[in-house]
Amino acid sequence: MARVRLEHVTKRYDDVVAVDDMNVEIEDGEFVCLVGPSGCGKSTTMETIAGLTRPSEGTVYIGDTDVTNLAPKDRGVAMVFQNIALFPHMDVFDNVSFGLRLRTFDDDEVERRVEQAADIVQLEGMLDRMPDEMSGGQRQRVAIARAIVRNPDVFLMDEPLANLDAKLRVHMRTELQRLHRELETTIIYVTHDQAEAMTMSDRIAVINAGELQQIDPPLVCYNEPANLFVAGFIGSPSMNFVRGEVVADGLETKNFTLEFDPAGATGVGVGDDVTLGVRPEDVHLSRNADDLSRPTRGIEVTTDVLEPMGDEIFVYLVLDEGAERTMEEDPLDSPDQLLMSVSPDTDISEDETLEVVLDGSKIHLFDTASGEALVHGIADRSGSDPGTAPTEAED
Amino acid sequence: MSPNDYDETRDDGTPSESSDESANVRGNRADPRRHLPDGGRAPSRLADGGATLGAGGDAELDRGPFSRWVDRSIQNPQRVYRAMFYVAAIFFLFTTLFPFYWLLMVALTPEGQLRDIVFTPNGFNPGAFVEVFQTLPFHWYMFNSFVIATASTVLVLVIASLAGYAFGRLEFPGKTPLMLLVLVVSFFPPAAFFIPLNDLFNTPVEILEPVMSDGTLYNTPGAMVMPISAIFMPLAIFILTTFYAQIPDGLEDAARVEGTTRLGALFRVIIPLSAPGVATAGVLTFIAVYNEFFFSFLMTDGEAENWAPILDGILGYQGQYEILFNLMAAASIIGVLPVAILVIVAQEKIVSGLTAGALKE
Repeated sequence: MARVRLEHVTKRYDDVVAVDDMNVEIEDGEFVCLVGPSGCGKSTTMETIAGLTRPSEGTVYIGDTDVTNLAPKDRGVAMVFQNIALFPHMDVFDNVSFGLRLRTFDDDEVERRVEQAADIVQLEGMLDRMPDEMSGGQRQRVAIARAIVRNPDVFLMDEPLANLDAKLRVHMRTELQRLHRELETTIIYVTHDQAEAMTMSDRIAVINAGELQQIDPPLVCYNEPANLFVAGFIGSPSMNFVRGEVVADGLETKNFTLEFDPAGATGVGVGDDVTLGVRPEDVHLSRNADDLSRPTRGIEVTTDVLEPMGDEIFVYLVLDEGAERTMEEDPLDSPDQLLMSVSPDTDISEDETLEVVLDGSKIHLFDTASGEALVHGIADRSGSDPGTAPTEAED
Repeated sequence: MSPNDYDETRDDGTPSESSDESANVRGNRADPRRHLPDGGRAPSRLADGGATLGAGGDAELDRGPFSRWVDRSIQNPQRVYRAMFYVAAIFFLFTTLFPFYWLLMVALTPEGQLRDIVFTPNGFNPGAFVEVFQTLPFHWYMFNSFVIATASTVLVLVIASLAGYAFGRLEFPGKTPLMLLVLVVSFFPPAAFFIPLNDLFNTPVEILEPVMSDGTLYNTPGAMVMPISAIFMPLAIFILTTFYAQIPDGLEDAARVEGTTRLGALFRVIIPLSAPGVATAGVLTFIAVYNEFFFSFLMTDGEAENWAPILDGILGYQGQYEILFNLMAAASIIGVLPVAILVIVAQEKIVSGLTAGALKE
């Protein structure tokens, strides 16, 4: 059980900076997910904590000890690897007890602890099997047992579920949460799958290009993303972005205008080049928008493609019929398209012209140049409810 | 176009040939392009038939068994490869094993009757295999050889493992030049090292005096183990480097997080998983040292009690006035047997190690 603190950790390879001035503090017993696209430095961050990589600069603390220059074995960490990394020449018992046998434990103690760990991950009766005789999920559980058997201060998991099939992944996800509740150990979990991050963690650390973008509880990351990257990365399908300019009485974009009072929102000034972000579920059909507290003015659109998902339908909306669409362009970044999700019983068809509104309380404005979030939720013209300023943590 | 069509358009074979062709159809169908590389087939037949009869493709030659065999071989090159394999295999087996056979015949021939030996011994004296041990302490020479070969193998494997780990798993500047330098050592003729080494090993060293009576390494296993190990080290380093480089990084990382040092991970995880490579390097080194001539011959005075290896034992049957060829032959056979057995045993282990898929993840 220990806190983990990274102070100004930077890792440079010959020509790339894998981790750039990372400052993170992880509380005792917390479950933190490091998420980000491939190659963003999350695994390097993890290896720095484990001691497999020495940072070029900065300090790593586990508990109150500076472990920056300690060998991995002296850090009190255990790690579950993406490729599982069981020792193929040892049976399950030897794999699980590998770390114990390297330390001075007597045989009875080793046996007792291995059995206890096997019990927790439900591997009873499989201790004499070889890794290649087991299924992927079983091997994964052996790897977890190997990690928990030593009672580590910190658990590091580097995409442990990435190589499992979808169904098993969901199952192991709940098992890991149960395990966390049972052990109450600090867990640092690397994943590129935001569903895992959203469901399991106490806090999510979003990393991009080696820089920490935001570290907050999952719903804060979802509802109040600190910048364009977090807004686009968290949530599936991701947020709609439309570029526009702040004018005296609202926001003007290429195809529609929103009315709001710029004076009521801190950080927004007339003439600013901003990007509007709105999630697909916050785009509503005008005819269903009666219960919205702050609907925007209606926007004329034409439906393009419908994607029925079963529990909802994704509708691609074309704002400007005349605009040329290219295949290369990400539709979510296009100023002429919006993605809307509606309930599956909605009466809607392709190539239909209709009117949609946005949920004003769920609209985000970002500074286009820096990407920083300016406002989450815009006030209507009356200014009765000023927008929420970004919280402290996001600055 | 199917291979059959192709055949019919080109070839009005005799009935016997046609049946051969149909026997080949399966092979042809498996690879219809097989004809194309020797698309020379049609022209060559034309040239052949044209020269003889001055006519077109219908001309059929009255050919002997050899040209039929050639024709079939062209259609089915696999036959040629198989034939070549058998010829080569028989040739090598003969050149390797026949000297052994002759050695056995010489050993079985009683002393003084060494003539007219082609396929059978001139007389029969299996007692030579016992006499070998009575005339000289040949078992002692064998023991010396074993000690020298085992010590060299252990030394080579330990040092080559460390070097192989560094070359195979670490990144450091100058890695490739250093590896080349190591390999260059093995290209040197041993004679280049002999004079300085002989001088060195005959110089009394103070710290050796409690161990060696005169404080020199001459007439000790060290005088052979050290230079021989150095010469066979590069090959072992090279083999182990390739094997260690193939062990996934994740396994080493896992071992290190679990509580080993890098060195511990090498001995607990990387080496066990590279068992086939370590066995190969070990067996090759053992055999090479066991068979080594140069230093084995020159670094001792040839007495069994002075750690002289088998080589000196065999040469010991050669006296000033007579040469006991039958005992030399018997001793040679006895000396070869342990290594032959080792190779057969180790070969099975190496093959089983490679097919077990130990690294499957």
